[in-house]
Amino acid sequence: MGAAIAVFMILVAATAPLLAAVAGQDYTTYHDNLLDSARGGVPLGGLGGISSEHWLGVEPGTGRDLFARVVYGAQVSLGVAVGATVLEVLIGLLVGTAAGLGGRWADAILTRFVDLVLALPILVIAISLLAIVPQDWPRPLLLATVIAVLGWGGTARITRGETLTLRTRDYVAAARLSGAGWFRIARREILPGLTAPVLTYAALLLPTNMIVEAGLSFLGVGVRTPTPSWGQMLSTATTWFRADPMYVLIPGGLLFLTLLSFVLVANGLRRALDPRQSEVLR
Amino acid sequence: MRRALTLVLPGLLLLAACDGGGGGSTSASGDFDPATCQGGTLTVLNQGGITHLDPARLYTSGGGNIPSLLFRTLTTRNRQPGEAGAKPAPDLATDLGTPSDGAKTWTYKLRDDVFFEDGTPITSADVKYGIERSFAPELPGGAPYLRDWLQDAASYQGPYKQPEGIKSIETPDDKTIVFKLSKPEGDFPFLATATQFAPVPKAKDKGVGYEAHPVSSGPYQVESYEPKKSLVLVRNTHWSSKSDTLRYACPDRIEVTAGLDAAVINQRLVSGAGQDANAVTTDASVGPEQLAQLGNGGPLDKQVARGEFPATYYLAFNTKKAPFDNQKVREALSYAVNRTSVVNALGGSTIVGSSTTFLPPQKALGYQQYDHFPAGDTGDPAKAKAVLAEAGLTNLTIELAHSNSDDSGYGPKVAAAVQEAFKQAGVTVKLTAIDDATYRDVTGKPATEPGASLQYWGADWPSGGPFLIPIFDGRQIITAGGNFNLAQYNDPQVNAEIDAINALTDQSSAQARWGALDEKIGKLALTIPLAHEKDVFLFGKNVKNAVPDGWRGTYDLSRISVK
Repeated sequence: MGAAIAVFMILVAATAPLLAAVAGQDYTTYHDNLLDSARGGVPLGGLGGISSEHWLGVEPGTGRDLFARVVYGAQVSLGVAVGATVLEVLIGLLVGTAAGLGGRWADAILTRFVDLVLALPILVIAISLLAIVPQDWPRPLLLATVIAVLGWGGTARITRGETLTLRTRDYVAAARLSGAGWFRIARREILPGLTAPVLTYAALLLPTNMIVEAGLSFLGVGVRTPTPSWGQMLSTATTWFRADPMYVLIPGGLLFLTLLSFVLVANGLRRALDPRQSEVLR
Repeated sequence: MRRALTLVLPGLLLLAACDGGGGGSTSASGDFDPATCQGGTLTVLNQGGITHLDPARLYTSGGGNIPSLLFRTLTTRNRQPGEAGAKPAPDLATDLGTPSDGAKTWTYKLRDDVFFEDGTPITSADVKYGIERSFAPELPGGAPYLRDWLQDAASYQGPYKQPEGIKSIETPDDKTIVFKLSKPEGDFPFLATATQFAPVPKAKDKGVGYEAHPVSSGPYQVESYEPKKSLVLVRNTHWSSKSDTLRYACPDRIEVTAGLDAAVINQRLVSGAGQDANAVTTDASVGPEQLAQLGNGGPLDKQVARGEFPATYYLAFNTKKAPFDNQKVREALSYAVNRTSVVNALGGSTIVGSSTTFLPPQKALGYQQYDHFPAGDTGDPAKAKAVLAEAGLTNLTIELAHSNSDDSGYGPKVAAAVQEAFKQAGVTVKLTAIDDATYRDVTGKPATEPGASLQYWGADWPSGGPFLIPIFDGRQIITAGGNFNLAQYNDPQVNAEIDAINALTDQSSAQARWGALDEKIGKLALTIPLAHEKDVFLFGKNVKNAVPDGWRGTYDLSRISVK
């Protein structure tokens, strides 16, 4: 079930331009004629202006098509989260294996450094960082990078721990005795053993990163208008939640569903990949 | 005359200043009797304000709403709905002042029956001292006009450093005060409504600490005050309604709470539980939630005051920067703008109206209707493209600066609406968000000023002068920062016309010429006027006589009753 929703969301995000074209809408065009200006710009008609042309209604205050904004928003929200997660895993693997295999001093220094990264107040630093960078930098890429640079500590720590247990295994000792270098050992002997725990952890990181992206966009330092993201939509929706509840329910509901599906997928992965758990289940 | 942006400045009334006075209120004052309205406690629920309480530090329009309960000034706003309210009225003085020497000298006589809260009679020396304090660098924040207008006062550093005082303010006796100006200023009675014209007894002055308990000359005095949080006012027993017919001073006690969220304030006013039934707000205009419940004959329609504070939202061009040095570009963009989207971005047609003139539509400012570049309700992209093609420009890309906060009225929402409208005309807009706290600093310094930026201008007093002079007088271009002539427009003919109008003391002839001047400058498309402010404020269900005054657009706390 979780996987089905997750796959569906990823498909929606990937095909956003196509879906918007099918609906015959784009996410920037204003439809002022569909709003009740005297009442603050709420959409005319019930359920936030849902009609055969505007499948999910229109955005209050601007009249932009909500369906187009939601699917493009999925692209941004998921894209940033996936990008950040991939980067975090890469950095974490690199630092974690280096610490695990690098000897006493390298381990001590890298571990302290990871502790430092873990102790950083992510949201505060991300807000200040995103507020000072030039505005013509591509925001989604920037968001993914900032989230990853501040958030790779967890993967590094897990990787190091696993590496330390793996390096004492007999097959690693055998490889060492047969003259393999550290790089080759890391690549051929350690990395395959890391796949399961790191993959599980990454699956849990993904929804966390989505929340961080939504949070940053909600706080106004994420993607910039007119580019939509779910967090940003929720941010503007706070002033509309009584006058146009659909505008809160749609992005909020999608965010909830997506997060839930990824958490379910992560749980499923952990169960499938963790040998102890699977034995219990059997 | 440097700035008029009542909304943005840090004083007490600043936020409170943004509401206007044209429309009628549903709570008519027909059966209201100021003689029997006394009693009860009025609650004021605000977002901001009460940052300062020192009359030298407040930047108000017409003396402000809360400060005006504490401070009487030489003149004050007339506190009437509609046009009558856009005029000054005598307060401490017996009349609006006697001009002489071609409006370069203004003489005021004080009333005999005015006292401070300790019973001491108010003298002309107290008024002079109050003005001198406002020049002290220790007490910044007030409007800059006096420094500009008074003779030889430009470099005065306040009574703490220069106790000899300002020579161009004379007090020949205890009841007479004479102002000598460097140039004719027919608007002096309007300026004399500012809190800088409130009397301050020299013996009680504690410098920066004075605002903990400023000595009251008005109907209320401070019981307790915590900056930015709370203020409790109780009656000043030495004030008498016989000496002050404009302030009704109905409640016995006024409790101000600041730091609340606008949505929370309006929700509390709607539900009116307990003491909230006696509550008002001076700075939280209604949001979409309340707009949905208004205008359909429901109970909330009896709890709303609609007014208009004269203020314009506009797009400013820097004509020293390409491509905006080209008038055709400015004209094309004026045709392209979609005012319906902008109005919706600002909160809809109930709280703003679209504008094609720089002066907002108040007669007191000299408003004259014109539409030099007709864009209709939703823009005329075809005409805009034609004008650009005529000028030989295609695939134009421009930058538009805006604040990063929507609260100010020149934030991302308006910018996105403008961006989309210009896109229809084939013009690509790159948006530059600037932190709200530094927005005016960046745009107000010609060295850092962007080519195009979103702006807001409110009236320090209802007259064309404080609206047009800072924006279009070439002598007001300030290179050091704090500049509002963003077009950096300097036409000696326009400057001469401004001086000629300033010398007029007859408001109706001044109005006609301000309006004509606005119409003339409008042809140059130095700005794109977008919208003007309207103000819709709720009040609790027990509140009576909440009538918006014509100067500020909000109901006047000195006239509200909760009995």
